[in-house]
Amino acid sequence: MDVFLQQVVNGVTLGAVYAVVALGYTMVYGIIQLINFAHGEVVMIGAMVAFSVISALAPSGLPPLAVVLLGTGFAIPVCMLVGYSMERLAYRPLRRAPRLAPLITAIGISIILQHLALMIWSRNILAFPQILGTTTYFVGGAAITNVQIAIIAICVALMGGLAALVYRTRLGTAMRATAQNPQVAGLMGIDINRVIAATFVIGAALAAVAGVLYGTYYGIAQYTMGSVLGLKAFSAAVLGGIGNIPGAMLGGVLLGVVEALGAGYIGDVSDLCRYGWIAALMDVRCADGGHFILFGSEYQDVFAFLVLILVLVLRPSGLLGERVGERA
Amino acid sequence: MLLEILGLEVRYGGIRAVKGVDLRVDEGELVCLIGANGAGKSSTLKAICGLVPVHAGAVRYAGADIGAAPVHELPRRGLVLVPEGRGVFPQLTVDENLAMGAYARGDGEVDADLEHQYETFPRLKERRSQTAGTLSGGEQQMLAIARALMARPKLLLLDEPSMGLAPMMVAKIFEIVREIAARGVTILLVEQNARLALEAAGRGYVMESGTIALSGESSGLLADSRVREAYLGEGA
Repeated sequence: MDVFLQQVVNGVTLGAVYAVVALGYTMVYGIIQLINFAHGEVVMIGAMVAFSVISALAPSGLPPLAVVLLGTGFAIPVCMLVGYSMERLAYRPLRRAPRLAPLITAIGISIILQHLALMIWSRNILAFPQILGTTTYFVGGAAITNVQIAIIAICVALMGGLAALVYRTRLGTAMRATAQNPQVAGLMGIDINRVIAATFVIGAALAAVAGVLYGTYYGIAQYTMGSVLGLKAFSAAVLGGIGNIPGAMLGGVLLGVVEALGAGYIGDVSDLCRYGWIAALMDVRCADGGHFILFGSEYQDVFAFLVLILVLVLRPSGLLGERVGERA
Repeated sequence: MLLEILGLEVRYGGIRAVKGVDLRVDEGELVCLIGANGAGKSSTLKAICGLVPVHAGAVRYAGADIGAAPVHELPRRGLVLVPEGRGVFPQLTVDENLAMGAYARGDGEVDADLEHQYETFPRLKERRSQTAGTLSGGEQQMLAIARALMARPKLLLLDEPSMGLAPMMVAKIFEIVREIAARGVTILLVEQNARLALEAAGRGYVMESGTIALSGESSGLLADSRVREAYLGEGA
């Protein structure tokens, strides 16, 4: 099996989910310059709601695909409501406050949502019922499952749909206008509070689907799952250029691939027995093809944050940059 | 009477930028509000549109008090501001900017109006797929005016339309303002270029440090020695 190709397949799958979550971060940032740190928790709630619905319906004898779709169908409106509520109740009253206030509020909301989830779904790791049969295909030395194909296809469709919404519709144009100049957008008759609320709701709907995909992919959900996932998606948004919609898509996929390749190779690279003079010092461990691996694939999470640090140091505006236009 | 302002006061923190302004604009008029930098002209316009809160006094438009109306309500009622510094959406195309101008409208004649704007402003038509940020200052001002016209305003407020433009372009913009007025749109024009403003307008108000210092027919103001000395650059 080709490790490189395999990790690219795994990375693109994961990265597609990151990209969909990253869109929520970047759209909100683009329109009100807020890093909504509670966005990862919306993903978690999506996964949790879907878990409850799927677990309840799994024994019912409904077709498995219908069960998963129903789970998603419940998760989306619940997350949209959560997204709307946090904007309406927490961020809107702080619209004219210094930027630090909504940022800290976002962290507070994140804690509240996590603990609400803890109360509802317990602290246990919840296992999604494995009702979807998995078929594995082999393409050029890499394995890809039907679930991975479905995840990638759904994410691509979501991104395409969002791009069409933002760049082709009246609401999307109003969203971009509001992002560029909220005061003038208001003067054009755009109710910017509604546009901002719509941005949160759309981001939350994407997060809901991402949560279901992530939960189904790994087969588990837990009340804390949103924080690391959220931070990674945020890193992806920064990598692509925060506020930039194509950037979030690119950043998500790239981050997923970097992470998967990192996890795939870090064990080999950090195996001290590969390096002659060190191996000589540790001949007991390295004798007979032994290994002395410093960092195993559990260090996977490190890569996303390494990327974040590198981007912030080397190119803070991200790959596609925040396209700051001329304000004549 | 289309617009009536009585005893308007605007404050920023403890500073009174507008200290009791009375002003009215009748239907079909082109009225200008002139004065030096910092006299409170822009603050007056912003208060009319709800961009800054009305601290005291009343703003009545078409018979209704709009002092507390939300900003986005006013275009629906035909009151549209072309903001200072033009305020085009730099990353939207010219087409999209104009479409946003018609955001408040629900009728089916938007496309016809769009073509009409392009007839009036052929320069914009050539650049309809370009982003507004790539336009020159004068073109952006044309776009800002065309965008406001897309809302089919009854009352158009223009905040310093000549600011930062080359003399040729200033003349062109004033020509456009006159054409719009001739079409029956009521205009309240705020300008630092007092001569051009008074020549275009029927009546004028002169604002000084937050109050109306003088007002009257433009011809009278143009002849007034205080105006000539302070705003038209002529020695006494």
